[in-house]
Amino acid sequence: MSTISRRDLFRSMLGRHAEPTAPSVALPVSDEAPQLALILDRFCLAYQGSFCSVCSERCPENGAIVVVQGKPHVNPDFCTGCKVCHEVCPAPKNAVFLVSRKPRQGMVARPTPEPESP
Amino acid sequence: MNLIERRTFLKTSALAAASAAAAARAQSPAPPTAAADVLKWDKAPCRFCGTGCHVKVGVKDGKVVAIAGHPDAAVNKGLLCVKGYHVGGILYGKDRLTDPMLRRNGVMEKISWEEAIDITARRIMKNPAGFGFYTSGQSTIPEGYAATKFMKGGLSNNHTEPNARLCMASAVTGYISTYGVDEPAGCYDDLDACNVLLMWGNNMAEMHPVLFSRILDRRERGQKVTIIDLGTRRTRTSEFADHYLEFRPQTDLAIANCIAQQLIESGAWNKKFVENHCAFRADADITKPDLMGVAISFDDFKNRIAEYTPEYVSGLSGLSVEQLKMLGDLFADPNIRITSTWCMGMNQHTRGTAINRLVHGIHLLSGHFGKPGDAPTSLTGQPSACGTAREVGTLCHTLPGGRLVAKQPHREQCEKHWNLPAGRIKETPGYHTVLLFEKFCTPKDKGGDIDTIMVQVTNPGQTLPNLKKLYTAKIGLEDKFLIVSDVYPTASTEIADLVLPAAMWVEKNGAYGNSERRTQQWFKMVQPPGQAREDVWMTIAIAHRMFELGHPGMKDKDGKFIFTFKDDAGNEVPVWDYAHFHDINADRVLYEEYRPLTHIKHKHVAPYDELVKATGMRWPVVEQPDGSYKETRYRFVEGEDPFVAKGKGIDFYHSTTDDGRAQIWFCPFERHPEEPDTEYPFWLCTGRVVEHWHSGTMTMRVPQLRGAMPNAYCEINPADAAAAGIGNGDDIIVATRRGEITLTAWINGRGRPPKGSLFVPFFDEKRLINNITLDAYCPISKEPDYKKCAARIRKA
Repeated sequence: MSTISRRDLFRSMLGRHAEPTAPSVALPVSDEAPQLALILDRFCLAYQGSFCSVCSERCPENGAIVVVQGKPHVNPDFCTGCKVCHEVCPAPKNAVFLVSRKPRQGMVARPTPEPESP
Repeated sequence: MNLIERRTFLKTSALAAASAAAAARAQSPAPPTAAADVLKWDKAPCRFCGTGCHVKVGVKDGKVVAIAGHPDAAVNKGLLCVKGYHVGGILYGKDRLTDPMLRRNGVMEKISWEEAIDITARRIMKNPAGFGFYTSGQSTIPEGYAATKFMKGGLSNNHTEPNARLCMASAVTGYISTYGVDEPAGCYDDLDACNVLLMWGNNMAEMHPVLFSRILDRRERGQKVTIIDLGTRRTRTSEFADHYLEFRPQTDLAIANCIAQQLIESGAWNKKFVENHCAFRADADITKPDLMGVAISFDDFKNRIAEYTPEYVSGLSGLSVEQLKMLGDLFADPNIRITSTWCMGMNQHTRGTAINRLVHGIHLLSGHFGKPGDAPTSLTGQPSACGTAREVGTLCHTLPGGRLVAKQPHREQCEKHWNLPAGRIKETPGYHTVLLFEKFCTPKDKGGDIDTIMVQVTNPGQTLPNLKKLYTAKIGLEDKFLIVSDVYPTASTEIADLVLPAAMWVEKNGAYGNSERRTQQWFKMVQPPGQAREDVWMTIAIAHRMFELGHPGMKDKDGKFIFTFKDDAGNEVPVWDYAHFHDINADRVLYEEYRPLTHIKHKHVAPYDELVKATGMRWPVVEQPDGSYKETRYRFVEGEDPFVAKGKGIDFYHSTTDDGRAQIWFCPFERHPEEPDTEYPFWLCTGRVVEHWHSGTMTMRVPQLRGAMPNAYCEINPADAAAAGIGNGDDIIVATRRGEITLTAWINGRGRPPKGSLFVPFFDEKRLINNITLDAYCPISKEPDYKKCAARIRKA
């Protein structure tokens, strides 16, 4: 897959050839900054009682977004962070966020000290 | 962004969007946001489907900028589907039609409205009998009423049809031949009360998502409701079903008969209900079926139904004997409540009337009728298929309020109401949709006696079946003139001779009637773009121009114009002059003129001013002693329906046999006229997807919806794909006896079609599946079958 990205391949499949894609700088899918799709249920139509599975249908990675009882779930083991799901999400507030796989600075949990016994 | 700012930001952005629905559903009032102070909110029914959700429309600086589900609406309780949340976006596509355009020497040229109206009026005057008016189940009630009055009362021409012929006609004939009056007895409240939801070829999760979520909500609250999906392909709905019963296309007829056979065989049919409230009926001659048929005895019914044993029907339908017995046992159980729903699966059927009758029949035979949760209810596809096409009567054989052109008293009543000379309304029905366009696409010297068609609020160039025969065949024919009023360029405007730019949805006043007899009203909130104008104005302006040109039909008995509009002071307002159109609410005048006509069939629609206050009211709406108005949930049921006398229990007061009885029909299983064979081995089914409304004219202009579903595709079973060497995403050619088109293969897709079947949505104007669909139709309802025809595939 040297000349055409996986994302472009998938787009061409369902007919979005014409849209120019942003340069890869904007979408780092490299090992240095891997991203992961996160579906926010408060924005996701499927979780709000409506019906939608577009992110899963258009996801180019088999098994990265699975739909169980109508609701999409991201499987981090297969998600490449390609952002197709974010681009196609039709919810009024886009429900798919791309988050960093690496914990951010200051977000590392520390063991809490044992409470002293009385 | 500090912490507080950030939190406020998240909160407001969340509330402004999808989660507003969630908050609303929890019955909490929408919290005030900063935006609420500058936005002006008003209410309107959603523009799209027959569910009839109510939305709140936020207008700022003359533009619709926000949409939210209406928290007080009984139908949707604040929830919307993906289309509904984006309904505001349909107004703002870049290519809105803004000027009337006339084709001169093959080129579309801008002309003035005066010229456009004059050309149309003169064209109709030239041959009034050869004019057809093709309207819509998306026309508003006043639009449909004005069209019907203009055509049937003015022109003495019954060639007016709504696109609802392609959508709900079989449901209409089913209701009328069973109960003597159209439209469901039950309502959406049944979904909250039923123990079993039986969907007949009905993909509710995709087509009526807000309704389906109502059922799933009950499950989440811990209630037990059994969902049965009786279908020919797995759909999004099947995933939630307790039982998915997959039958061979067309054998729904046999399955319904099998349920009746089991009820009779086991003696579990409701003898008391049937003895008191029902009679039996069948076609006199099955080769020439008609709407009313002939009475048969119970023994005759029993004999005819006897062959539909589970064993026999299992062989026909592909359901197992156990599955068929499960269905029989459900209807035999008097202690559960069963709601049947259906939509195009049963209506777009070469025996559409028959299958509608049979489903009503098993509910009547088993007594699963008239109690909350016990109802056979058809869901409409379009937002006002009931309100406009069926109640106003824009079909070629109907008059307002459920009247028929064929009935002398009905014609007389309308002539009197409209102050027309006796005999003005013609008694022979006009051409039904397929015939109307066939006549239009046939040269005059070969019997094509329709030479002008005016189209409003619909897109026949994409949605008629077998388009090459029924639409594009018009190209090049001499002296055929096509007028299309629309909001965007479409497959219909493509070959039109005159294109009229229309106002849409909240750019005009309107009223719709949804699937459950609920009439809903809205006001104009924003200006239409450019020169776009209201469809109802176009009809009145054309009529008035013809009046000026001296057409006798545009005059009433006293020589006055057939449409009169008066302001509160009683002064006449010349609304045909667009400068004065908004001086009064023309919608209200037309609606109130129409309203008394609804009383004959006890379809009392609510007064306009009551509708202004409500998020829709279900007719019959009757005035109470205290002056308030009360809607009706269940028709024909004592205590609910104001027209059922005390002590009657159930009364089918419009019975076709004038004895308060509903008809239980026997209709045999009959094969489809184009079954797959060795040459064309696949069943081809067409339909909608949740993201798009019908032909995509509106929804394909909304970036989020187009992005989510950009192209039509062909759903195919993996085994069939493998056998044809087709991979996911390959271009394939789908061919029928009427032609072929290229589509993208989607293995399994959303629906997981069984082996030997294909599904293609019809929203994509670049890939017109209706170029190859079948134009065979139900002999009674004249509704074509878009769900079945024989096809073959190959890799492109």
